[in-house]
Amino acid sequence: MSGFLEVALLLAAPLLLAAAGELLLERAGSIQIGLEGTMLIGAFTAFAAARSGAGPHAALLAAAAAGLLAGAAFAAFAVAGRADPILVGTAWNLVAVGGTAFCYRLLAGVTGSVLEVRTLPALAFGLPAAALAVFVVPFVLEVFLARTRPGLALVAAGENPLALAATGGSVVAVRTAASVAAGALGALGGALLVLTVSPTFVEGVTAGRGFLALALVVFARWKPLRLVPGALLVAGATALQYRLQAGGSHIPYAVFLALPSLLALFALAFARGRGGAPKALGTPAP
Amino acid sequence: MRGESAVRRFAVAATALAAAAAALVGLAILAGASPLEALRALAEGAAGSTAALGETLTRATALVLTGVGASLAFRAGVLNIGLEGQFLAGAVAAAAVGPLLAGSALGARVAILAAAAFAGALWVAPAAYLEARRGVPEVLSTILLNLVAAAAVSGLVRGALQDPEGDYPQSRALSDAVRLAPLASGSRITAAVLIALALALLVTLLLQWTPFGLKLRATGLAPAAARAIGLPRARLRLLAFASSGALAGLAGGLEVMAVTGRLYDPFAAGAGYTGIAAALLGGSHPLAATASAVLFAALGAGSSAMQRDTGVPGALATIVPGVLVLAVLAARARLARKTT
Repeated sequence: MSGFLEVALLLAAPLLLAAAGELLLERAGSIQIGLEGTMLIGAFTAFAAARSGAGPHAALLAAAAAGLLAGAAFAAFAVAGRADPILVGTAWNLVAVGGTAFCYRLLAGVTGSVLEVRTLPALAFGLPAAALAVFVVPFVLEVFLARTRPGLALVAAGENPLALAATGGSVVAVRTAASVAAGALGALGGALLVLTVSPTFVEGVTAGRGFLALALVVFARWKPLRLVPGALLVAGATALQYRLQAGGSHIPYAVFLALPSLLALFALAFARGRGGAPKALGTPAP
Repeated sequence: MRGESAVRRFAVAATALAAAAAALVGLAILAGASPLEALRALAEGAAGSTAALGETLTRATALVLTGVGASLAFRAGVLNIGLEGQFLAGAVAAAAVGPLLAGSALGARVAILAAAAFAGALWVAPAAYLEARRGVPEVLSTILLNLVAAAAVSGLVRGALQDPEGDYPQSRALSDAVRLAPLASGSRITAAVLIALALALLVTLLLQWTPFGLKLRATGLAPAAARAIGLPRARLRLLAFASSGALAGLAGGLEVMAVTGRLYDPFAAGAGYTGIAAALLGGSHPLAATASAVLFAALGAGSSAMQRDTGVPGALATIVPGVLVLAVLAARARLARKTT
């Protein structure tokens, strides 16, 4: 069973990291439904860095830097620019899906051969240090949001932006900072995929994980610690899929492909909808 | 969107065109090609010959229907991001029903398209239910339903729908009698594009000129006011969900009946998402969305030719619609802030 647990944790890490970033952004009152695209940007950047000779840890850093820029770009449109974040996110996905595919073709040639990269070395339980560190992030986030001054300002931007503005805070600045952080975490999540699970880049390598991370945030009712069981549940279902497939199970493969999304859907149905959602979620800054 | 002044519309269009042109030229240079040659290859691949024009209109069929479907939903305030999944549901229905039908070709075609439209509407139903009864944002549920639909297609072409006469993960082919024949020799174009354009006109009439359309727009534009004057918000939203799903499902059915002849995996090449971009570029006006859809289809057809002739990756056809929409969203938001 150790193999199963290892795979489940390895699959949970990228999901958890991306969801943690998204949670931060949504608690600040914005939302990025183009998280899938941000993860792709991170995955491609890590791949490109690793191909051009960077070690896996440097590749991780490169992806984080790309994510910071991506988060700032999203904020320029959806926070400072006050465009509807849902619509910006939809277009964002097109640009990221097309952009990473475009750049990958330039790197790999139009024929498209499989180019492998070096993965992160395992530290304990078959997991690299970076993947293990991911499981600390929700706890850090919990303390940050509940106990620190910037954390409280962030929550205020999502719950009552007018009050924050009235006390001299800048809603735009807080949400932009949250978007930059969310971009970095989402890109790191994508990079972890390439540097642990599958050591290469293919178009759409994230395979819907960004969308699942979005659902996880709702499933967790915007509480950081509740992301952990959600991510483990979804990753566990995926790991089970791999295991049963390898064991020649007669349960149709598609059932397992659909299982994480179905679980997330049921979770949404029973989470009592917007219960726990930041009050100003998706509204423009005053 | 409707209330935009001519000057403002011009400003938005100019910004979008500048951004798209910059993206096209920039990407061509990045790929090491001459921008002029890349653009020429793009234009020729999109409209340089009867075959190219046919290719553009063939690709436009699905995008027009999903673009109009998205417009209809957005105008009613329904954020249906799941047109990709509803497209797949329609394609599955067409591939499942198509090979079973006997009798007249016309009857079979009508039955296939009805099944596809119904399947599309059915696929959006869980999202409509969860939003109305549980307050689940439809943005999230429709996205998840996209993933479930993709998984279902993957399973069905290897299981219940797999062609028994081959080992490939694909369904049985529709008979030639049922499939739509090309309108012109040497081209892929069929009557499907006419069906799509007719429906685009019909939805425009319905939305802009009928009392029902006015009610639908009112719920989207001013939900509180619409409720205050007694409009049945839940029913109107349900109708918007169902009809946008049906249009996307029909797009999937027509894709099988007119283009591919069968279902395989992976099937949709982003028709749902690009349709949403067409709706956004067109300000959720069905006719403007139709024009945007044809433009994106031309980009798609042209970029395939461009990749072949100049080596600029065809993924450009996915980037440019995204850039266009981002530019339009930014320009509209900026102008809206200036005037209020």
